[in-house]
Amino acid sequence: MSAFWLYVFTLIFFLFDYFILAMGLNIQYGETGILNFAYIGFVAIGAYMTGAVSMPNSVGTGQHYILGLNMPFPFNLLVGGLSAMVVSVLVAFIALRRLRTDYLAMVLISLSLVFYDICNNYVPLFNGADGLYNVPSPLASVLHLTTNSFTVVFALLTGVISLIMWWIMSRITRSPLGRTLRAIRDDDGVAAALGKSVFRYKLTSMMIGSFFAGIGGGLIIQFNTSFNPSAWLPGETFVVFAVIIVGGVSNNIGLLVGSLLVETMLVHLVAFLPAIPGHPGLILNIAAMMIGGLLMVMLWFRPQGIVPEKLRRSPAAVSSVTTPTEYAGIDEGVSHD
Amino acid sequence: MTDQSVSRADSALGCQDLTKSFLGVRAVNGATFEVPRGQITALIGPNGAGKTTVVNILSGLMKSDGGTMHLESTETTNWESEKIARLGLMRTFQLSRELGGLTVLENLLVAPHDQPGEKLFNIFFRPGRVTKAEKAHVERALEVLRTYGLYELRDSRASDLSGGQKKLLEISRAVMAGPKVLLLDEPMAGVNPALIERIGGYILDLKAQGVTVLMVEHNLNVVEKICDHVIVLAEGRTLATGRLSDLRENKEVVSAYLGEVIDASAIS
Repeated sequence: MSAFWLYVFTLIFFLFDYFILAMGLNIQYGETGILNFAYIGFVAIGAYMTGAVSMPNSVGTGQHYILGLNMPFPFNLLVGGLSAMVVSVLVAFIALRRLRTDYLAMVLISLSLVFYDICNNYVPLFNGADGLYNVPSPLASVLHLTTNSFTVVFALLTGVISLIMWWIMSRITRSPLGRTLRAIRDDDGVAAALGKSVFRYKLTSMMIGSFFAGIGGGLIIQFNTSFNPSAWLPGETFVVFAVIIVGGVSNNIGLLVGSLLVETMLVHLVAFLPAIPGHPGLILNIAAMMIGGLLMVMLWFRPQGIVPEKLRRSPAAVSSVTTPTEYAGIDEGVSHD
Repeated sequence: MTDQSVSRADSALGCQDLTKSFLGVRAVNGATFEVPRGQITALIGPNGAGKTTVVNILSGLMKSDGGTMHLESTETTNWESEKIARLGLMRTFQLSRELGGLTVLENLLVAPHDQPGEKLFNIFFRPGRVTKAEKAHVERALEVLRTYGLYELRDSRASDLSGGQKKLLEISRAVMAGPKVLLLDEPMAGVNPALIERIGGYILDLKAQGVTVLMVEHNLNVVEKICDHVIVLAEGRTLATGRLSDLRENKEVVSAYLGEVIDASAIS
């Protein structure tokens, strides 16, 4: 297979993976209004844990890491997702109970910096700055895949997983739970005055979003077979924010569009372009500036994103309650031909 | 001090010696009153008398510095607002606080307590229960919207409504939760006379359904027309309670409401 197609499938992988990550951040920020500036930390937990449980015991491998359970796919991935979810509960109890908006964001970004330094320096946990490498590729031995065909299979598998995650997320956001989360986003004082346990719902939203983050992270370490602190600098959180703000907050199609534009086109497409002679790395810096510029342009001219949130008009249940004659009055002046 | 005009047994809501300071300013300074069950009570007083602060404390939005309060027979002093709400107290806000990103219908659908569809487990494993409850809530919400004349607007974004429509939305959202006690913070402020008439009618209907209403109101014509009981607040204290006709005789009340509460000796 040519390098070109390998490249295309790598882009496809990141498109779907960031779609999952964007959905996770979106339920926290877009649906519930939690400014989770520590999001990439949850992605990292998912990645590290997925890697750590799928690798063999660390004794004699030259790496240091916890667990080493030789767990097969997809159980390792689920451990990654669930670990991020468990940590989100701890974080929620520290940060989410009393703090909101900018204060919450500051505490979360501080927590993510602390966690970053721990992972980067404390070797016994996840091998410190070297990170985990030689993570077994799932299905590769079962399907007798080469490195190249693994890229293709895993990119497509990620696509399937992202569709399942999309289905799960749609179920949640369309449910009364999703509605209550959006009520909290719009005005948590009103939600509390209506008897909603705001903390409990924010915790739920945090947990769901972090599970998505963990799965997205787990897929990254499986795809790359390695993961280290340079992959999740705390600033990476803002790339995910850029994905959802550019694409469209609270709109799953928008998230896919944002993932395509920001992550696929601006982060990964350019990463494979030949360097400008005499200026190594300049292209990546230009791409980073373009993301920042795009974010500013969007916030200034189209804060709702390319595909804006749709108003959830009369849920399906209404049409079965109201009779057609009741609609007739509303549709006055609208032709039906 | 206790409010003798309404016995505790007849009181749906009440407070005793409530105090609340903001940066040293005593906004509420020993407010004490009882709200008779099943009646419409007006909370009146000059601007800055602490009416909204009292409403905020009673609904749990703010914590008092001192004093006690109760909802029916339950002591609710310094409870969280969500707990007070679940006990049956609903409120509206002086400046309408609609859930702007939701439709009018969704604003109402948020209100019912303990919806099966608010639990993750039910969404995936008991979808039938969720749908059934949702159907019932939608049916009821549409009925409430019809009553309050918002039916045609049910699919509009709540932030797009006019000021008066937002007031109606707030009341109907509170009604949707099936309150025992309703706190209305200036439900008729900035509303045209025809709508004032309509809102007054709605409040009377709620009373007929057995809801206890406490409303902050400046318009004494409205108070006279629909309120059974009046509480006068001035400088954070309860000045008087009783029927409006009796209170009109009370010189202290009249001067307080006209704003002449400054002690003359303090000026000279």
